[in-house]
Amino acid sequence: MHDKAVFQHRLLPMVLIAPQLIVTLIFFIWPAGQAIYQSLFIEDAFGFSRDFVGLDNFRYLLTDPEYWASVRVTFMFSGLVALSAMALALLLAAMADRVIKGATGYKTLLIWPYAVAPVVAAVIWWLMFNPSIGIVAAFMELFGYRWNHYINGGEAMTVVVIASAWKQISYNFIFFLAGMQAIPRSLIEAAAIDGAGPVRRFWQIVFPLLSPVAFFLLVVNVVYAFFETFGVIHATTLGGPGNATRTLVYKVYEDGFVGLDMGSSAAQSVILMLLVIGLTVLQFKFIEKRVQY
Amino acid sequence: MATVSLKNIKKVYGNGLVAIHDLNLDIADGELIVLVGPSGCGKSTSLRMVAGLETISEGELSIDGVRVNDREPAQRDIAMVFQNYALYPHMTVAGNMGYGLKNQGMAKAEIRQKVEAAARMLEIEPLLSRKPGQLSGGQRQRVAMGRAIVRNPKVFLFDEPLSNLDAKLRVQMRIEIKRLQQEFGTTAIYVTHDQVEAMTLADRLVVMNDGRVEQVGPPLALYERPATRFVASFLGSPGMNFLSVTHDQGRLYLPDGRSLALPEPIEVAPGQALTLGVRPEHLEICAEADADLVLEVEIVEPLGADTLVYGRLPGHDDLMVVKHQGKHGEARGDRVPLRLDRERLHLFDADTRRRLPDGVPDGARPPNPGV
Repeated sequence: MHDKAVFQHRLLPMVLIAPQLIVTLIFFIWPAGQAIYQSLFIEDAFGFSRDFVGLDNFRYLLTDPEYWASVRVTFMFSGLVALSAMALALLLAAMADRVIKGATGYKTLLIWPYAVAPVVAAVIWWLMFNPSIGIVAAFMELFGYRWNHYINGGEAMTVVVIASAWKQISYNFIFFLAGMQAIPRSLIEAAAIDGAGPVRRFWQIVFPLLSPVAFFLLVVNVVYAFFETFGVIHATTLGGPGNATRTLVYKVYEDGFVGLDMGSSAAQSVILMLLVIGLTVLQFKFIEKRVQY
Repeated sequence: MATVSLKNIKKVYGNGLVAIHDLNLDIADGELIVLVGPSGCGKSTSLRMVAGLETISEGELSIDGVRVNDREPAQRDIAMVFQNYALYPHMTVAGNMGYGLKNQGMAKAEIRQKVEAAARMLEIEPLLSRKPGQLSGGQRQRVAMGRAIVRNPKVFLFDEPLSNLDAKLRVQMRIEIKRLQQEFGTTAIYVTHDQVEAMTLADRLVVMNDGRVEQVGPPLALYERPATRFVASFLGSPGMNFLSVTHDQGRLYLPDGRSLALPEPIEVAPGQALTLGVRPEHLEICAEADADLVLEVEIVEPLGADTLVYGRLPGHDDLMVVKHQGKHGEARGDRVPLRLDRERLHLFDADTRRRLPDGVPDGARPPNPGV
């Protein structure tokens, strides 16, 4: 009896975590291992032969100006997406927090974009910015500005940033709004009695209290911009013009599936993996430390 | 140093709910006024209107004779202590206390000096560099007080500042608040639902119920001559006992059929329904022959100094309570003969629930209710 009970206790937990473990192993750990393995080889385009080259793939990447150009594009892109998505979400949340009538309606509307797939969002924006048929491009033409993100790298970057940030605003909005509503009303009232106007109340009371939320969102947004915007770029600019919007993730795809340079592509994936691990560690470390009240 | 005057103040919410009906109150310079009443009686709303956190629907609010209805909270020169203290969690104690002064554009050195002076007075100097999260409830309360004192405002507003403290600390802080307020001589409005706090702190008490003022006056005057049955039941602990009585030719007829002669004649129609109020401390255990009432004991609560005896008149539902000094041997099921203190009886009209006019000359009366 006793032995059986113990046996049940050991088996049951294993059975319960097995599905999660199996999924993780097959879809995360195994591919990750494959990537690390492949990054050590140079393979011919058709997969007939491979040569072990050690860390040559990495060495080559880190001395390749094109790779560094992609790093710069990625950081610029991620920074712009994170900042614009967070700033706008903060603004919207601050406004929604003041609304009393029909508050639920506004909130629902503001959350909707999150339900739109990134690629669909990208296509919508791409259409609107399309130099020949897009409504935004046509509007800008009224002011004498000829918009063409097929030619102008900066404009292409603008389109992908807008398309990526647009969707993320909803996500940030929910967190900011929840954070604001968790701030006791009396704090704001105390600040009002203490002679702080609305602007000062926001920056000196509300914003500091939101800083843990803001930091969490910064990490989430950067991760999103780094890794989840492939679809946006693929559906709009294809990394162009002249690699102006070729982020690291897009370069992994291009080098691997278009250029068929599996070794380099795998090496790039491994670098991205390290980056993501770093970001996650940073997030946990800081979130533990930054909770100051 | 300021007077505060509320004239025909009314608060109506957007959905038509009238929270305050017609509030009139003149507060003298340096006076501590306590607004007291049950939850939802409008006492906090009234305070928040004075603070400027709630708009005033009708009427006029002036501080020092200047109409301030449309002024921002910051421009009314008031300081408020909140129930949850409302300390800024990301600022140090010193930062919290000096925030108002900083917003006024005062020099840093001067702020520091004022904050330190206030901290010394409240004995929180060692805490100045800590954050609110590292403080106990009592310490936070002091910081909240300090934040109000530092600004040296015209009026202090307190919104149930002690209700988050434990019983012992509450008594201690209550005394402290009284001491500080007297020291500064600052006009103060204090909101509470605790009648002991109200009685002990107030220069004058404003008893509110359902958005209306029931009575205004010094605590003892309200205790001794409650204008309405509500005030009578709200002040005093345990609450006043009420008995349905009738009156005929100078005698009151109690529910159990016994009667007693009134010390003074009253002018009411014979047979009119009256309510007799008598406080638990004004009921005396006596010999069977002198008894006005006989109580069937249900529960006895010995408190050490006093004993509370709860029971019912035979055949009646209303629970009555008697408070007498020292220890006595009553037990459940005993029949205790009681005598009413003739001089301390309160008679209310059973319909209007107002106190019956009696023979006390006008000069000896507390101020009229609603003034």
